[in-house]
Amino acid sequence: MESDEEDFVFYGKPIDREEDIGSRKKKAVAEASGQLRSLPVWKQEVTDEEGRRRFHGAFTGGFSAGYYNTAGSKEGWAPQAFTSSRKNRAEVKQQSILNFLDEDEKTELEDRSLSTSSQFDTFGFTTAEIARKQAEKEQQHRPSAIPGPAPDEIVLPAAESIGVKLLQKMGWRQGRSIKDSHANALYDARREARKAFLSLSSADAKVQFTDSDPVKGDIENVAEQPEDGNVHSSKGTPIFVLNLKQDVHGLGFDPYKNAPEFREKKRSRASHERGPVHRKGFSIKDGLFGFKSGKVAPGFGIGALEELDAEDEDVYGSGYEFEETYVEEVEEPSRLSLENKKEPVAKERGSLPGFRVASNSDYQMERFEPPVIPKDFVPHHTFSGPLQTGYKNVDVLPPEVPPPEDNNLKLLIEGVATLVARCGKLFEDLSREKNHSNPLFNFLSGGIGHDYYTRKLWEAYPKCNDQTKQHLDEKVPPGVQRMTAESRGKILGERPLDRSSRDSSSSVHSDDVVHLQFNLSDTFTEPASFNELSQVEKPFKDDPAKQERFEQYLKEKYEGGLRSTNSGGAGYMSEAARARERLDFEAAAEAIKKVKYSRESKVSTLNFMEFSKAGGLQFTSGGLEQTKDPQAEDLIVKNMYPKREEFQWRPSPLLCKRFDLIDPFMGKPPPAPRMRGKLDSLLFTSDSVKAAKMEEPATSKKDLLPVLQSDAQDISKNVAEIETEVEVEVGNVERPVDLYKAIFSDDSDEEPKDSNLNRAEDQEKKTEAANTALNRLIAGDFLETLGKELGLEVPPDLPFPLQKTRNLAPQKENVEGRNDNSSPHAFGETIGHGLSILQEDDSHKGQSIHGNALESGARKSLGTSLSEDKFIKLNKGRTEDDSKVRTPLTRQNYSSNSSSEDERSRKRSRRHRHRSSDTESDSSSDHRDRYSSRSRGRKKGSHREKSSGSRKHSKHHKHRRRESPHRSSHHSTEKREKMKWKE
Amino acid sequence: MSVSDLPRKEVNVLKGHEGAVLATRFNGDGNYCLSCGKDRTIRLWNPHRGIHIKTYKSHGREVRDVHVTSDNSKLCSCGGDRQVFYWDVSTGRVIRKFRGHDSEVNAVKFNEYASIVVSAGYDQSLRAWDCRSHSTEPVQIIDTFSDSVMSVCLTKTEIIGGSVDGTVRTFDMRIGREISDNLGQPVNCISLSNDGNCILASCLDSTLRLLDRSTGELLQEYKGHTCKSYKLDCCLTNTDAHITGGSEDGFIYFWDLVDASVVSRFRAHNSVVTSVSYHPKENCMLTASVDGTVRVWKT
Repeated sequence: MESDEEDFVFYGKPIDREEDIGSRKKKAVAEASGQLRSLPVWKQEVTDEEGRRRFHGAFTGGFSAGYYNTAGSKEGWAPQAFTSSRKNRAEVKQQSILNFLDEDEKTELEDRSLSTSSQFDTFGFTTAEIARKQAEKEQQHRPSAIPGPAPDEIVLPAAESIGVKLLQKMGWRQGRSIKDSHANALYDARREARKAFLSLSSADAKVQFTDSDPVKGDIENVAEQPEDGNVHSSKGTPIFVLNLKQDVHGLGFDPYKNAPEFREKKRSRASHERGPVHRKGFSIKDGLFGFKSGKVAPGFGIGALEELDAEDEDVYGSGYEFEETYVEEVEEPSRLSLENKKEPVAKERGSLPGFRVASNSDYQMERFEPPVIPKDFVPHHTFSGPLQTGYKNVDVLPPEVPPPEDNNLKLLIEGVATLVARCGKLFEDLSREKNHSNPLFNFLSGGIGHDYYTRKLWEAYPKCNDQTKQHLDEKVPPGVQRMTAESRGKILGERPLDRSSRDSSSSVHSDDVVHLQFNLSDTFTEPASFNELSQVEKPFKDDPAKQERFEQYLKEKYEGGLRSTNSGGAGYMSEAARARERLDFEAAAEAIKKVKYSRESKVSTLNFMEFSKAGGLQFTSGGLEQTKDPQAEDLIVKNMYPKREEFQWRPSPLLCKRFDLIDPFMGKPPPAPRMRGKLDSLLFTSDSVKAAKMEEPATSKKDLLPVLQSDAQDISKNVAEIETEVEVEVGNVERPVDLYKAIFSDDSDEEPKDSNLNRAEDQEKKTEAANTALNRLIAGDFLETLGKELGLEVPPDLPFPLQKTRNLAPQKENVEGRNDNSSPHAFGETIGHGLSILQEDDSHKGQSIHGNALESGARKSLGTSLSEDKFIKLNKGRTEDDSKVRTPLTRQNYSSNSSSEDERSRKRSRRHRHRSSDTESDSSSDHRDRYSSRSRGRKKGSHREKSSGSRKHSKHHKHRRRESPHRSSHHSTEKREKMKWKE
Repeated sequence: MSVSDLPRKEVNVLKGHEGAVLATRFNGDGNYCLSCGKDRTIRLWNPHRGIHIKTYKSHGREVRDVHVTSDNSKLCSCGGDRQVFYWDVSTGRVIRKFRGHDSEVNAVKFNEYASIVVSAGYDQSLRAWDCRSHSTEPVQIIDTFSDSVMSVCLTKTEIIGGSVDGTVRTFDMRIGREISDNLGQPVNCISLSNDGNCILASCLDSTLRLLDRSTGELLQEYKGHTCKSYKLDCCLTNTDAHITGGSEDGFIYFWDLVDASVVSRFRAHNSVVTSVSYHPKENCMLTASVDGTVRVWKT
């Protein structure tokens, strides 16, 4: 560096920088234009026109003035002709202040006579004088004893008597005693000063000043120096201004005794009435709140704790007066009560005249302790977003394609593309499957507009998935292979799902479409309920097709948002007929629900039957109304109300501030516009409020697909989580339990899956249990899905009452375990076991005798449900006998139950087919093979499970709690198990 | 508190209103009271001595509710003219008028610090107005109600509104939640218990319902009076031992809080008892009626 610079050679004189001068000039200009005028005086600089500083400190050149510090000028000195001042002397000018005053200032000056300013009016003489004069003046305005204007001749000018004049010459002043009171001089002086102060600044300085003041002084005297015998003689002579009694109260009666607040008001009103002359005086004396104009802007005001400032004044006031309200009480007491006067003036500051600041203000900052964080809380948050399920084949940039001519199609394509981008490839597959007969969706499978679709998808993809992807990458540790549904199924020993013959899409029969619908819906519902329904409640028995549609409808209704475009077999119906039918269905469903309610409340079940008969099996909403049982309704109402719901609500920051609270939403982005579309709300908002909306019958197809989709994703995600043992605890932001409870109000009943064993014991409860189970299952599935989508954690289930159950007899324990399991929080318990399986691997080799026994039992009943496994685990500490006893019982239950099981398994198989549809291209024969192989593996699986159960017991609680949201997968596992047993 | 301590003796009749009195309220310490009515005025009384102190006129239509700050310096009132008026007590001037409700305003309340006025309107909304700033826009609009909001209560942290849609909604500012308790019957008036744990809701099926605020549980129902078409007030006594409310036949009812039995009832007015207000400390009660009087009751 150094050497570089040394290499340079400079020639000539460097050019003067313009800026140096420019900036100085600029500064001068700025100063001239007043920009710097705002500076305080001592910071301002005097500069010449060049912007140079004119005055310097003594050490920096001192005063610089004139022309370069000379007396000369730029022009220099020029000689002048001599003129003698001898003849024409310079006129002596008499200057007075008046020469410098404006006209208005002059008039003001004339009004003012010279007087001691209050600051120096130590003895209060001047003030007293002024007050006296004012009182005299007022005397004229006072209502006099003689009505009408008094003739001037009668009222003689009260000239000061000669005695007064003499006394004054001798140094006496008005209001002072004649007695030489040197002893008291100091005290008197003080008193006078105080009086003066009071008279000036306090609200007491009012119209009746002179009349009340001496009295006051008197009282003060008495109060302060009662021991002084000379007090009365030494005090000044009061000037009494007679105060007429103008009211109708009795003598000495003070209506304001308990309401001193209004005395002031009354007084001011009186002064107002007396005319504008006194107006000014009053408003000034209003003290702190007084304005020069005496007016506050209308519509504006101040709080008790704020002070008025200039902006509160009504600058543009047109003299508009508010409607006067008036005090009705009319009495002017001629004296002030003692305690009132004794009140220090300073105390009145900050409150309205006549008002006191409350002594015990309950304006207290209430602070709340921060919430206690539970010990076991792990501050790790996970955010569930739509999973990206392998849309990686679009590495090549699709060419830019012009959109298709058909605008509708274009919109459709774009919409689908966005959805797919959001929800992943599965969505595309599903919608393709769903709509393969629909010519509009041909673009999905390579028809018209496919190119455009690809392009759009490519465009939309990064937008939506950037964050998700990133997040997922973080979550899944590198090197761990993500699990697919299939691989998980293998591990769990599931039966492979039936593949639909999607490849031959063009030739698919329309029946298959319906079928597919069923498959889709089966994923989410428990078919047993329809079983139940078909046995008891068939409102449309006479019309099997209609009945079928009704069932279909019910299924859709309860599975939360899944809707088929054309409900089964109703394609031939007209729009109107379909709508009518829909109404019927709704009514019927309502009725069925009611029956359930009434059953619960021990109202006869005949209700519904009657209903269906009375309606002649015709469901119209009108008919429904008629058959309502008022009693039942009453009961229902009682059961239903009060109903509590919880929503999110965002208070405005200012509101929180005014309530002295901390804004719970502080720092969070402004609330999203409420519910742009249902889809958005389902997938991306955490507004749990809208949960109920999913039940609405009229949800469009658009809504149901993403639900489906995301559920599938959830499952795969679950798998991933299980494998990698990523134990993530979602922050349980809002406790949705209440909401869930509110929506699906029943609890305390058993889950039907788990109640396999139970049924033997309480057969008679079967129907009821099934009913509630339906609700629960629907609720469970629905909520799980919902919870996933909303990014919520389904609240952890209750700790397993292990200690308790151990001490009970096996049968009882059975029930207990069930009950516990079926509590609404217990979703997805079994998946915990699945987890344990994985963890345990093949470690069952070294097993205890219990384990063996259990194993044998399990082999006998090949397909006992996972819940049974769990049960066995529960019984870990049991003897061999126990488990043996139990196993036959299980079987019995199954057999008793087989009729309904039949249909269930059928439906399940359908669903399985659907499940495997992710991978899309398997024939059903293939499925068979895989199924059998899997079932073999399954044995092993169950086997393993037992071992894990016997070993890792305590751990399970944790896992179960962690994994609680993953109910649906748990569900399906169970179902699969059962089905296997069937086979 | 025994039944004999209930205020059943009439000590004063406050006459002055022309036409129905729609609401009467004690001030914070119970020394004064305010009433408002169809004659478009608000009146300030000393109920213990039966003195009329002041009349506040500015409303263009009937005044439906009034509330005074705890330091007695400001009033707020509302009514048929769709505005909330913010008054200075001593001068009797309107400091501010809050416009924004699309329809009649049924109830107003100050918050604890008198910095916010919350109004409940027929337009199915609750609005919070700022008294500190000069803004005339509401600080917050709560419009989740699906019918006219009849009554509003404020705690230190919550806004509670009762609506004809049958819900009592609690808006908790600390946690940003809205808790809706659906009673299934139009709610006329809500009133907080003095301990703040319960809420008493007067429903249009002639039933008062006592709700536990934390759980939303229905604790008790009080029946016997008639309340079918008017907005009738109800409240708890100062000790929370009894519940009192007016009836459309001019009777006053006292119920035992716990067993919901009618412990006392007597005819107080010739006409509908629109409003009741209980003294915060003493056994003293105010009742207002359509007959134009406010009556003061003591033991």
